[in-house]
Amino acid sequence: MNLRTFLQRSAAVVAALTLAGCDRSDPAITSTPTISPGGADPLTIGVAFETLQTEYWVAGLDAIKASAHRRNVRVLESVADGDANRQLEQVKNFINRRVDGLIIVPKDGKTVIPMIKAANAAQIPVVLYNRPSDPTDAPHTVVAPDNFAITKATVEYLISEARKTGRKVKALVLLGDLGDVNAMGRRDGFEAAVKEAGDAIEVVARVPTEWKQEKALAGVQSAFQAHPDIGLIFTSSDFMFPSIKSVLSSQGKWKKVGELGHVILGGFDGDATAYQLMKDGYVDATGVQDVFWESDQAVQVIAEVKDGKPAPARIEDKGFVITQANLKELESRMWGAQVANRK
Amino acid sequence: MSSTPSRPAAPAWVIPLRSWAGSDFFVLVLSAVYFLILTPLAPGFASTGNALSLITSLLPLLLLAVGQTWVLVSGGIDLSVTATIALTSVLGGLAVNEISGWLGSGPLAIPAAIGLMLAAGAGVGLLNGLAVAQLRMPPFMVTLTSLMFFSGVAVWLTQSQPIGSLPPTFTAFGGRLGWALPVAALLTWVAHLGLSRTVLGRWLYAVGQNARTAEVSGVPVRAVTISAYVVSGLLAAVASLLLTGQAETASPVLGQRMLLDVIAATVIGGVSLYGGQGRILGVLFGVLFIRLIDNSLNLLGLNFTLILMTKGAVILLAAWLDGWRRQLTRTA
Repeated sequence: MNLRTFLQRSAAVVAALTLAGCDRSDPAITSTPTISPGGADPLTIGVAFETLQTEYWVAGLDAIKASAHRRNVRVLESVADGDANRQLEQVKNFINRRVDGLIIVPKDGKTVIPMIKAANAAQIPVVLYNRPSDPTDAPHTVVAPDNFAITKATVEYLISEARKTGRKVKALVLLGDLGDVNAMGRRDGFEAAVKEAGDAIEVVARVPTEWKQEKALAGVQSAFQAHPDIGLIFTSSDFMFPSIKSVLSSQGKWKKVGELGHVILGGFDGDATAYQLMKDGYVDATGVQDVFWESDQAVQVIAEVKDGKPAPARIEDKGFVITQANLKELESRMWGAQVANRK
Repeated sequence: MSSTPSRPAAPAWVIPLRSWAGSDFFVLVLSAVYFLILTPLAPGFASTGNALSLITSLLPLLLLAVGQTWVLVSGGIDLSVTATIALTSVLGGLAVNEISGWLGSGPLAIPAAIGLMLAAGAGVGLLNGLAVAQLRMPPFMVTLTSLMFFSGVAVWLTQSQPIGSLPPTFTAFGGRLGWALPVAALLTWVAHLGLSRTVLGRWLYAVGQNARTAEVSGVPVRAVTISAYVVSGLLAAVASLLLTGQAETASPVLGQRMLLDVIAATVIGGVSLYGGQGRILGVLFGVLFIRLIDNSLNLLGLNFTLILMTKGAVILLAAWLDGWRRQLTRTA
């Protein structure tokens, strides 16, 4: 059959199916905007996450949606499943839908640059959520934690606990992916606190984990082989606490705060695992990213830009340190506590 | 010749239906129906901007699917294409990045880098082909091993770091439709002619249908098999060039999630996983169908998990329809 014959025979089928399909439109997914109480059309923002693989990102997306809901802002979401090219296409889809703003969690700092440029060309404000881009002239806003300051404050607390032992404590640090600016900020915060501590602690192992649980486990095991008397561990992300627990348990050193032989433990993120371990008394402190504040700021920037205000280049989340002493007081601001309490 | 028992004659309306369903254009009509149904539901779906975005994202998948078609027609399968993308992207990025590129910034740096990418792609294909044809190893195992090995090489070369600062002339091949479209169209056309109008094409179908019979008939089975994998590797390298240009970054995880889309597009486009069957035109429509689904589901603003489930269901439905039309045409 040639193309012309084929198309002639197809035309009737296509027309019938199309008419049938058009009649079945679902009001839940049409683009008809709802009208806000003020009478103006609500804003629509496209939220493009690189992944939802960890509970941190799920909590972040939920917080953005909650913030948008409070402001009567409509959210379109996409997840690229770790594929930067797919994320670029998803961002272009949002641009084609003429969204009022974009919130992006990029795969990395480099591949996001064409996305920012595409949004700039369409005059759509862009907020990078939690992960900044590499240096670029393309205007955008970054909402991210002050990794350096939060980590430094957390490690200072751990060192103050170490001082109470009255001896020089050997320390181990689990580093993240050193191509990730967040990981580098946390590393630098750790080193700055250690430098200021003088001879209170001695760092005997620095384990580059590349944000991989198996590398964290192997690194902690090796460190304890070489230095069985390690008395302080800081992990650059709370998600690596299970590896630490595994090694300490096997060595009979998984002890609560205050118990004889307790290894001082601290982390960063404030996830549900850290919350539970703090609640159970095993972890001394963790630096918490204020996910709710960051999410609210991201949505607010877009709303303000649409109101004609200039977009700031960076909004820094100062976070806070949650310790055994202030856990009850601050847990309502700890995103991991909310995740844990939902389970 | 002995006569076979005659079956009841099919109703008159079945004959044009069989002819229609058996055509390469069947999937194009599915795509058209899908497009027309989704247009009123997905804002921006029928816009020019979206069409350009769709075509841009379609081209790398098309090249990968065309290469896969050559391999599938020959009776094999190439699971290593995403590793070839990663490896060639990284090699190109390491060669031409403006900070520490191996080839510096001379006038020949970019052509040399593209040549390096193509050579690496062809090299991976050659190794796959040799292992399958000469060592008679199962294509699934050979290319799965290649996938793991060359993905590992790409990560090792970069220590997991993406490579930025690529020259605009280099990224223009993928980033600008004016370059990418003619290149992809030309390669697809050449692959189509190679498969449908040349002796090599006829040999590929013969090998895919029955390699033993083809060998007895004088077909150089090993050379034909190797050529299919080399073509797949070469086209994966070109797809890598386009993807790297679009992202303006070379990455060891580039294209990592594309394999299922490649296989789905070729199968929906009418290529048999058992070899000896399939045409480039059908694959073109299969790729279009897959991209339309992805694109429209994003535009609908559905939840991520709902998108995955819907995409899976639509592909399954398309595969079922494909099976149905094959059955229909076989009974003709």
